[in-house]
Amino acid sequence: MKLKQIFLASLVLVSASAWADPTYRLFVTNEKSNTVSVIDTRTGKLETTLAIGDRPRGIGLSPDHKTLYVALSEENAIAMVDVATLEILGKLPAGDDPETFDVHPNGNLYLSNEDDAKASVINPTTGKIIHEIKVGIEPEGVAVSPDGSIVLVTSESTNMVHIIDTTNHKVVANILVAARPRGLAFNSDGSLAYVSSEIGNEVAIIDVKKREIIKKVVIDLAKSKPMALVLSPDDKTLYMTTGRASKVAILDAKTLELKSTADVGKRVWGAVLSRDGSTLYTANGVSHTVSVVDTASSKSVMEIEVGKFPWGLALDD
Amino acid sequence: MIKIKYWATLLMLVTITPLKAEVMDVTLHYVGPTEGGVWLGVQQGLNEANIQGEFLGQRYSLQVISEQELAQLDAGSVTALLLATGSEKILATAKTEKFAHVPVFNMVSDMDSLRSACLPNLLNISASNKMKQDAVAQMLAKYPDSKAHAHGWHKDFKKFAASQLNSRFTKTQGAIMDDDAWAGWAAVKLLSDTIARTQSMDGPVVLQYLKNDIAFDGQKGAGSTFRDSGQLRQLVLLIENNKIVAEAPLRGVKGGLDSLGLKHCKLESK
Repeated sequence: MKLKQIFLASLVLVSASAWADPTYRLFVTNEKSNTVSVIDTRTGKLETTLAIGDRPRGIGLSPDHKTLYVALSEENAIAMVDVATLEILGKLPAGDDPETFDVHPNGNLYLSNEDDAKASVINPTTGKIIHEIKVGIEPEGVAVSPDGSIVLVTSESTNMVHIIDTTNHKVVANILVAARPRGLAFNSDGSLAYVSSEIGNEVAIIDVKKREIIKKVVIDLAKSKPMALVLSPDDKTLYMTTGRASKVAILDAKTLELKSTADVGKRVWGAVLSRDGSTLYTANGVSHTVSVVDTASSKSVMEIEVGKFPWGLALDD
Repeated sequence: MIKIKYWATLLMLVTITPLKAEVMDVTLHYVGPTEGGVWLGVQQGLNEANIQGEFLGQRYSLQVISEQELAQLDAGSVTALLLATGSEKILATAKTEKFAHVPVFNMVSDMDSLRSACLPNLLNISASNKMKQDAVAQMLAKYPDSKAHAHGWHKDFKKFAASQLNSRFTKTQGAIMDDDAWAGWAAVKLLSDTIARTQSMDGPVVLQYLKNDIAFDGQKGAGSTFRDSGQLRQLVLLIENNKIVAEAPLRGVKGGLDSLGLKHCKLESK
């Protein structure tokens, strides 16, 4: 057997043992119901609702998809849920007012502490906050690069994207963007990052190596307040939720041209894409629903009732 | 291999371009009381400007000057004047020839005469008297029995991240944020946002950016801009029994933010 084949074979073995079978569950934080809705995406039916804690917002999965993490803003904690059994496993201390987070390939959580102008790094195995990084005012979006080498954090009130080196947890660059930056997304090789600005109604592309904006556009859509960003698996299409405009803006990821829109529920905030890119799910704050958008036709094919003020989404597929 | 190359590039960039080596020292000139709402607002604005400045290379300080010192000030060295004096003094200062191209901030007066004067260098941060009257009129048109009165800010305001601003102001300054405190904070933030983006502390450059290019996040919703009257466009809150009962412009009113106050100073100031 050639070396490459041995390597591939061992990779398959590793992944088979490390990754659980997907449950196809969609998890939705309901900010004002203090719950997480669990939807079976194969049927589109609400499977159950978990009482999770005070003001759940940010949500994400461990790299092996075995554990769901939920930021509880008013409990200063991250709740952990077993994805397979839905058992609530416990809570991690998360500093003041944790809002959103992203999970590093090594399993650590990088999160924004909105009221404290800092980002925290939590090791979920030890339950300890291992680093705190000073950032701008009202930190919001967090995104870990695909290789884990850097983390981006947006600070809403100081209009910046901070680039943090994960080897020493130092801020290595700050990029000024349009007012109230919120969402972030990396392309698949981590060379480009996308950032949305709510008040500036703008989306920008950052060249990660050059650490500068290489393209930006104002979104031509009535009432648009750009929020969450999701990139298609082929890196060609950028999906952006627009808050009060109650639409998903579908942009060419290279030119940022607005190609089409998909009507979803009212006050659309969070979004997540299926692994194959065929289905986009959005959290619609004021409608108290999740929209299911078929990306091939850019049409909402289903709206599922969840709790009050759904905020964020995580999908185990 | 790709990863190694990536790291090499990243390390190179770190060594070649350190974080903002040169720091801009920005002094803002302030005339007014050194206690009370507007003062605390300015202090909060400075704290936040310096947090932003730590990342982007600016250091802000405030120079409190008397009205006499203002008269003797060399306008060429002034980035902006922050005024919390009587309205007549504000108007006279903005009209002074040497300050013609310096941004002069009115942080306290709601007098309509400061708007209808249409001075190109006078920036009125608080909602004007007419804006507040129009807000009450919109409320009465919809709810004839309303006893609401209008304010620019309120301690219970939560939307548009106002709650975050209220809570960090109270935490740092030990007071509630009122209309004047918001105006003081907003004036400094308008300046720090402008200076970060223009990388200039030259009064005329700053004034041009403020009047033409800014889309300001005052934590009151849409990006705020200035009218030609120098009035900052903004929503107005309607308060009854110390509770927020509505936001003006009220839903359904035409004209958006320009349904409040003097719209075009050139036409109406005759």
